[in-house]
Amino acid sequence: MTTENQFTGGSLLFDVLQQHGVNEVFGYPGGAIMPIYDALYDSDVKHYLVRHEQGAAFSAIGYARATGKVGVCLATSGPGATNLITGLADALADSIPIVAITGQVATTAMGSDAFQEIDVFGLSLACTKHSFQVRDVNDLESVLHQAFAIALEGRQGPVLVDIPKDVQLAAVQKQCLKVSTIPNKVKLPPADVTKALSLLTTARKPILYVGGGVGMANAIDEVRSFAKETGMPSVSTLKGLGALSSDDNPYYLGMLGMHGTKAANIAVQECDLLVAVGARFDDRVTGKLTEFAPNARIIHFDIDTAEINKRRFADAPILGDLKANVPLLSCQLEIEEWQNKIVEMKQDFGWQYDHPGQGIFAPSVLKEVSEKAPKNTCVTTDVGQHQMWAAQHMNFDDPHNFLTSGGMGTMGFGLPAAIGAQVSRPNDMVIAVTGDGSFMMNIQELGTIKRFNLPVKVVLIDNEKLGMVRQWQDLFFQGRLSETDLSDNPDFVMLANAFGIKAKQITTKAEVSDAIAEMIDHDGPYVLQVCIDALDNVWPLVPPETANDKMMEST
Amino acid sequence: MNQYQLIIMADDKQVVLERILQVTRYRGFLINGISAEVNTGTKVATIIMQVSSERPIELLVDQVNKLIDIKSVSVDNSVAFENSATLLKLSTQN
Ligand SMILES: Cc1ncc(C[n+]2csc(CCOP(=O)(O)OP(=O)(O)O)c2C)c(N)n1
Repeated sequence: MTTENQFTGGSLLFDVLQQHGVNEVFGYPGGAIMPIYDALYDSDVKHYLVRHEQGAAFSAIGYARATGKVGVCLATSGPGATNLITGLADALADSIPIVAITGQVATTAMGSDAFQEIDVFGLSLACTKHSFQVRDVNDLESVLHQAFAIALEGRQGPVLVDIPKDVQLAAVQKQCLKVSTIPNKVKLPPADVTKALSLLTTARKPILYVGGGVGMANAIDEVRSFAKETGMPSVSTLKGLGALSSDDNPYYLGMLGMHGTKAANIAVQECDLLVAVGARFDDRVTGKLTEFAPNARIIHFDIDTAEINKRRFADAPILGDLKANVPLLSCQLEIEEWQNKIVEMKQDFGWQYDHPGQGIFAPSVLKEVSEKAPKNTCVTTDVGQHQMWAAQHMNFDDPHNFLTSGGMGTMGFGLPAAIGAQVSRPNDMVIAVTGDGSFMMNIQELGTIKRFNLPVKVVLIDNEKLGMVRQWQDLFFQGRLSETDLSDNPDFVMLANAFGIKAKQITTKAEVSDAIAEMIDHDGPYVLQVCIDALDNVWPLVPPETANDKMMEST
Repeated sequence: MNQYQLIIMADDKQVVLERILQVTRYRGFLINGISAEVNTGTKVATIIMQVSSERPIELLVDQVNKLIDIKSVSVDNSVAFENSATLLKLSTQN
């Protein structure tokens, strides 16, 4: 930087990032991104050096999901860029606004199979909302503004900006462009509010089906008021958890779908009207689609036109901003009989926590962690049985406090996502609930946690198995346990200690309460290894291609 | 399999054609023919694409429309499919 508006591509990048309020980024350097890292050296942006680029992408996702802001990650060309891909796919599936910056070989070398050259622009087509390759440094400023606008506009998602090395080095004059917004080109058809209202007021058994869109649209208050005003019984998807809560809503039945509560699934199968808000009738939610909510008419609120009628016909689609639209249907309903039935089901089918023997019951542990953790604790999970137990037995008061890989179901998400969440919310407690398989997928990020002394707590539910796959092998593959044994795991306490992180192993019920208290009271990072029976299963379970009311239950 | 002709108007930006092809394949449509022209003055591309699929065409229209550089997508119902000599004929499984 010589004079005020004189930049290199690299220094301009950080200037624009700061213009967008980005003061923290996650990344990993390498040859083709060295000019950017050189510019970082003089920048006020704080860089969190991860230990694998996948960790950078997930940390950016955790940062974005815990706050609603755009998360940013950086990687070099070739292997650095390909290591980001899983994270981009995860962000696309869950509609998370992140901007990924990749270094690229110099424009003159592009297309020559140069060292560490990969066509990441081509790869990005299937795993980003949009992508750019900046071939002229004079385009960089505007491209970066567009990247932020696109990540946040409408249905949010990941954007990749690939920047060749010579473009990073080139001198450029800052144009001081206005931060752009993307014009909403899709002309929304007028919502049929009258039709929706008539469906709603004539329904005898309506259900409100809340998805991840509610948190992302910041429509939590609107949806809570709507549920309260109408008195409509409600259910949530995995990603919608936190939008509603049993504490202030007697007719809220929890999660629906494959591992949903019995009451939620039965109620949805019986309902005559389903009001979907920011939800997309995902196959993990619907079970056998042709038998899902067979008697229900559908009101579908969404920001994305392409979700309407994609998997289920909507009798009354209401497209656009949920925050503005949900209150349009507010009304009072006379559905007392249905409400009474819901309350009854909720009582009859409540969770059972009695568990014989001295061994630890993971659902009880997670329930207790949830009850004892301070207000506003942000929980991340990995993928598997522990993830479903967390969804079932922990309570969340806001979707920004439950970060889980929903659409992609990516093992390895939990620890780096917790890093991103902790960086973005330094004053809140962050707890990563993980399994022994998933933990090992990004265990190197314990190094990042230690380096920055991030007080992330890890609850490791250790069954010495790839538990969820083992459960399916037992139930649907005649117990042929193919490659799901992890009984030769490392000593996790010793491993955490090797990173300089305090850790403890517990194996009996009697130890649970004290261990949770110790973890929560500990000032810095902490790994609590909770050993459970290898054969514990997640219940209920709706088998694949089965109607949701034909769930399997614990015997 | 049903056949359709789509008329897509797009800003002539980087890899816009590749994006349309990727979405078309991924969403389960075969491309039977395609032509693309750019108005160099307005930098707006007109892409005419004949596709076939068992799936409803609205699925593809909505998904192509979501691409950032697309201005509009419409289904051209006037076309007779034997008469598509103006389009590049594709006979591969693309
Ligand atoms: C990256 C990735 N690879 C494979 C899978 C398939 N998968 C889903 S759950 C699971 C087992 C997870 O084991 P663990 O983390 O120990 O959790 P548990 O189910 O035992 O609680 C596997 C292998 C996946 N979801 N993600």
